[in-house]
Amino acid sequence: MGLKKSALALGLVVITTACGSYARTDKAETQISFGSSVARKGLWREAAFRFQKAVEKEPQNARAHNNLAVALEASGEFARALAEYKKALELDPNDSYIRRNYARFAEFYTSYTRTTGKAAGGT
Amino acid sequence: MSAALALAALFIALPALGGVAQVKLKLPLKPRLPLRGNEKIALAPFILATEAEKARDRRLQNVDLQAEFQRFLKKQIEKKTRLEVVELPTDLKLPTQNLSELGRSSEYWRALGAQTGAEIVVSGSLEFRVEDRSGYKTEEYVSPIDGRTYYRQVYVEQTGFLFDIVFIVFDGHSGEKILQDQFKDFRQTGGRRADELQGLFENLFSLENQILNLFVARDREAERYIFTD
Repeated sequence: MGLKKSALALGLVVITTACGSYARTDKAETQISFGSSVARKGLWREAAFRFQKAVEKEPQNARAHNNLAVALEASGEFARALAEYKKALELDPNDSYIRRNYARFAEFYTSYTRTTGKAAGGT
Repeated sequence: MSAALALAALFIALPALGGVAQVKLKLPLKPRLPLRGNEKIALAPFILATEAEKARDRRLQNVDLQAEFQRFLKKQIEKKTRLEVVELPTDLKLPTQNLSELGRSSEYWRALGAQTGAEIVVSGSLEFRVEDRSGYKTEEYVSPIDGRTYYRQVYVEQTGFLFDIVFIVFDGHSGEKILQDQFKDFRQTGGRRADELQGLFENLFSLENQILNLFVARDREAERYIFTD
């Protein structure tokens, strides 16, 4: 009997958590959560779309700007990625992950623009 | 019921534990040279910067660096680009053994381009060194008798392979230098008697992407962090 109650309670928690997280699509954190899950599967266009939504909902959210920058970088939109990394860093200059991402991107982007001879807007 | 509560707490806590995920991206690297892609290319000899050392190190005498590198480069270019490798006279001699002068010998390169029909000519310098890095190293040691940690000196035998290439690319029509770049690689293996030729190819394969990126677009893997909540 005790086991049945435990299973029931656990089921309720799982359903509540799942419904709670994906039903509130109006929230930036929901978009970030969904975007990051598709990003990890390599679906960068969809991830960029989700992170863009998160940025629109919370323009002061440094995490959303960082994620959008990564997704844009993965999609080859380097000039836009640069702007998003800068914005993320401006909003949260002390976040070590954002700083690391920006440093690595800057290294790549400098060599990329030096090679191609242009501050590329896109690919 | 307490077990169920503990499990529930774990389920709620799990997403919050994550927070950040490391992701891998493939970034495009555009070719360093502005080429059409199907040019005729001549692979001229490279200056060997290891000649003096070779006389002292017997292991280097087993490696024909010039031939091995030329063979590797030709094979990679033919396999992974659309460039057409043109044959050069087998007795072709470089105008100088000085790298700076080599880059300035535009008349020589222009004549070579005209003679062979090559639109671009590649040369430069090569250095390959085998280094013994054997010696004593301090190692942590947990005693099976008293379980305490001690430090002991152990003798470690290692071989290092250093490969250093300077690429100079010339315009076959004008003979002018259009690009100069340097690539270095260092590999370390356990054991003193590591094979030199194997070491050389480990160096070369690790530089393959950078070398080919002179001529064609390549991908580079990069790691970034994304926030998950």
